[in-house]
Amino acid sequence: MASEKNNHHRSIPDINGTHPTPKKPKLSSSSNFITASEIQSEFSHHDSAVSRINNGSFGSCPSSILSAQQQWQLKYLRQPDHFYFNHLKPAINNSRSIIQNLVNAKDINEISIVDNATTAAAIVLQHTAWCFREGKFNKGDVVVMLHYAYGAVKKSMEAYVTRAGGKVIEVPLPFPVSSNDEIVTEFRKALEKGKVDGKKIRLAVIDHVTSMPCVVIPVKELIQICREEGVEQVFVDAAHSIGCTDVDMQDIGADFYTTNLHKWFFCPPSIAFLYTKKNPKTGGGGDLHHPVVSHEYGNGLAVESAWIGTRDYSAQLVVPEALEFVNRLEGGIEGIKKRNHEAVIEMGEMLVKAWGTHLGSPKHMCASMVMVGLPTCFGVRSDSDALTLRTHLRDVFGVEVPIYYRPPRDGEVDPVTGYARIFYQVYNKVEDYYKFRDAVNQLVDNGFACTLLSK
Amino acid sequence: MAFHDQNNNHTNGEVSKKPKLSFSAITDTEIQSEFSHHDPTVARLNNGAFGCCPSSVLAAQRQWQLKSLRQPDHFYFNHLQKGILHSRTIIKDLVNAQHVNEISIVDNASTATAIVLQQASWAFQEGKFNKGDSVVMLHYAYGSVKKAIEAYVTRAGGRVIEVPLTFPVTSEDDIIREFRHVLEKTKSEGSSNKVRLAVIDHVTSMPSMVIPVKELVKICREEGVDQVFVDAAHAVGCTPRVDMQEIGADFYTSNLHKWFFCPPSVAFIYTRKSVNSVDLHHPVVSHEYGNGLAIESSWIGNRDYSAQLVVPTVMEFVNRFEGGIEGIKERNHDCVVEMGEMLVEAWGTHLGTPHHMSASMVMVGLPPSLGIMNECDAMNLRTHLREFFGVEVPIYFRDGGEVGCVSGYARISYQVYNKVDDYYKFRDAINQLVSDGLTCAFLSS
Repeated sequence: MASEKNNHHRSIPDINGTHPTPKKPKLSSSSNFITASEIQSEFSHHDSAVSRINNGSFGSCPSSILSAQQQWQLKYLRQPDHFYFNHLKPAINNSRSIIQNLVNAKDINEISIVDNATTAAAIVLQHTAWCFREGKFNKGDVVVMLHYAYGAVKKSMEAYVTRAGGKVIEVPLPFPVSSNDEIVTEFRKALEKGKVDGKKIRLAVIDHVTSMPCVVIPVKELIQICREEGVEQVFVDAAHSIGCTDVDMQDIGADFYTTNLHKWFFCPPSIAFLYTKKNPKTGGGGDLHHPVVSHEYGNGLAVESAWIGTRDYSAQLVVPEALEFVNRLEGGIEGIKKRNHEAVIEMGEMLVKAWGTHLGSPKHMCASMVMVGLPTCFGVRSDSDALTLRTHLRDVFGVEVPIYYRPPRDGEVDPVTGYARIFYQVYNKVEDYYKFRDAVNQLVDNGFACTLLSK
Repeated sequence: MAFHDQNNNHTNGEVSKKPKLSFSAITDTEIQSEFSHHDPTVARLNNGAFGCCPSSVLAAQRQWQLKSLRQPDHFYFNHLQKGILHSRTIIKDLVNAQHVNEISIVDNASTATAIVLQQASWAFQEGKFNKGDSVVMLHYAYGSVKKAIEAYVTRAGGRVIEVPLTFPVTSEDDIIREFRHVLEKTKSEGSSNKVRLAVIDHVTSMPSMVIPVKELVKICREEGVDQVFVDAAHAVGCTPRVDMQEIGADFYTSNLHKWFFCPPSVAFIYTRKSVNSVDLHHPVVSHEYGNGLAIESSWIGNRDYSAQLVVPTVMEFVNRFEGGIEGIKERNHDCVVEMGEMLVEAWGTHLGTPHHMSASMVMVGLPPSLGIMNECDAMNLRTHLREFFGVEVPIYFRDGGEVGCVSGYARISYQVYNKVDDYYKFRDAINQLVSDGLTCAFLSS
């Protein structure tokens, strides 16, 4: 944060959590921490003309980690056979080991590295499809997911579960949402529905943080309910979590858990991990396979995933460097999470105050992102309007922010139907949000409406 | 020895009498510079495994990566699809596909195999194929492909039949005969056992030989095989006549990072348009599910697609060579055969395949005194050659030979960056091992 330049905007903490005033006593260790200008330098490859407040979509990667990645790429290109036989596996195991510690998994075999959460979802759901096909699950048995599950995951359910004879039940979720209880109530209702006619609920797919609209889901509580209600397995799709929410495998208690490391953990595109809880009885992880089969087939998901044919594995090898980077910031990943959360809430409230709207969820249901209501005069009436507005903000104002269309409910008067999903990551500055605020204010002054754009 | 450089100019001092065209071909120095990131201490004779990528293409890839990192949303909405379509269009022309929708870009041939076999798996499950129907593959099919067939076909109730092949091989007729025999035999077992899919390599991996795919596809059509999938992991840039109309398969895949100078990794899968009832999907499902394999494959979640975007740059690189990719293929073939003959003469052994069944790779018999008795020996010898002699070359163990016969073959590749010294280095290394009396038994102790 450029707190040195903008002392009159006193309320924003800088990247080390220190306010410009009042003066905090300098700790000797703080001289080892990354400075604000070093941060800007690490992200100097970002387009400086753009207010990049959408870290949640594609993430970000500091240049020091990009350099480390390039070193791995060059090493491979120099002598690929030698690399394959002598370097690749140990380096992937090194990354897996760091992840295991980071997320408190008991056994390194529980951690497999894959490209992204989308791949992890395909792995879990392909396994579910086999269970239906091989009679382990009965036709008509249920898989439960949230209404706001990610689009790709919904399609994956169709491609694997529905196609194999499973029944998919969606848990409707309210938005805006004001408390965890609303979600818990709907979830319980959906489970009841699933158990009708003696059917079993074989799998629950629960987002840790939904994508659009963006809300932190009380996963721990929902998993507890799953156990009580006899749901066989739980898969947590936590595409956003690491670096954004708390991630402790023992604490959360899911059977399968995936998150991307390129979104909030500063890895290059792309890398994710899939956690598969070891079965205490069989010692196995439930016979999951990577859909791209190599000669490693049958050696366990982690080993299968570590070789899926010739490709560039370099993004999977820089997890050690990512951890080093994270530890250059005060408080490490916990410190980053906390400051991101505080900053995004502060920015969100600044915006809703400026526009006379409201946030889409309470603070405790936001992580490093928040849904900010847009002025109703924009007349966002469809997903298409939302995308058009987003493009307009990018092309004309240099603001990159995803817009969500929230269909109005019966009886609502002049409802907020458009929400911007803003994020905060270490490279962001308060100016990014002022630019967005001013862009929207200008559009309001100009009498802007989405219908004008779509002509 | 008249060793041909990359532009068909003899290097023994003879001045080329060819009239100068306005096209000015890449020079040897430029080629060495393009591959200067290769380890210069290593005789890199294994292009067939991991391929290679010139630095000008790597630089272009880097530009794409930076573009995406700079503003990824803008990149996703405005650049990515266009870039992938451009690459697909070039590939379509390269392989003579009829329509760009027949070309999907994927990571590698292993992914393409998973796509085709997952479709077969669903077909068994959904009753389109009957349990017990067969999938035919070659004995020398790639290890990963065999595993994929186990994972998707056997598991779903399909039967797997292997076509026995012999090695060393002397003529394509042997392969054609064996293949036809297997199909006829299966047919004669009763109409309840249909051959639903044939998986045919265009160039086998180990041992490496060029398979007469055109003829085998024809036999499949005659014998009523439902689908033919050609696994041509090596083909583009390596074998002549990679022509979808001529070959006639339903599905065809080839890597572009092996012999077509793309960075790791990019491959394409061709799916014949006329195969209407076949429903292929990428196993990693995104929001593009249902929009056709090509579109599904172009977005499988957030990742680095840059290797898929440099196909135009690669085309430019390839066209800096006289004769373009055809010229490169021809010269690679001539050189690898010349080097192979040089080696077998030096060692008193023989080639494992005739010239016309070798493309840019050839199997070279190793002296029996090395005592290669199993696959482990082959791997140990390979490691020893890498670590002690700086020679990178895969070794194949051929089972079933008599004592004192050639039981090990080296698969040597030739690509534009190779030099005759690379092969002299290998020749001398083996000669040294032989004169030192080294055997694989000694290596494993």
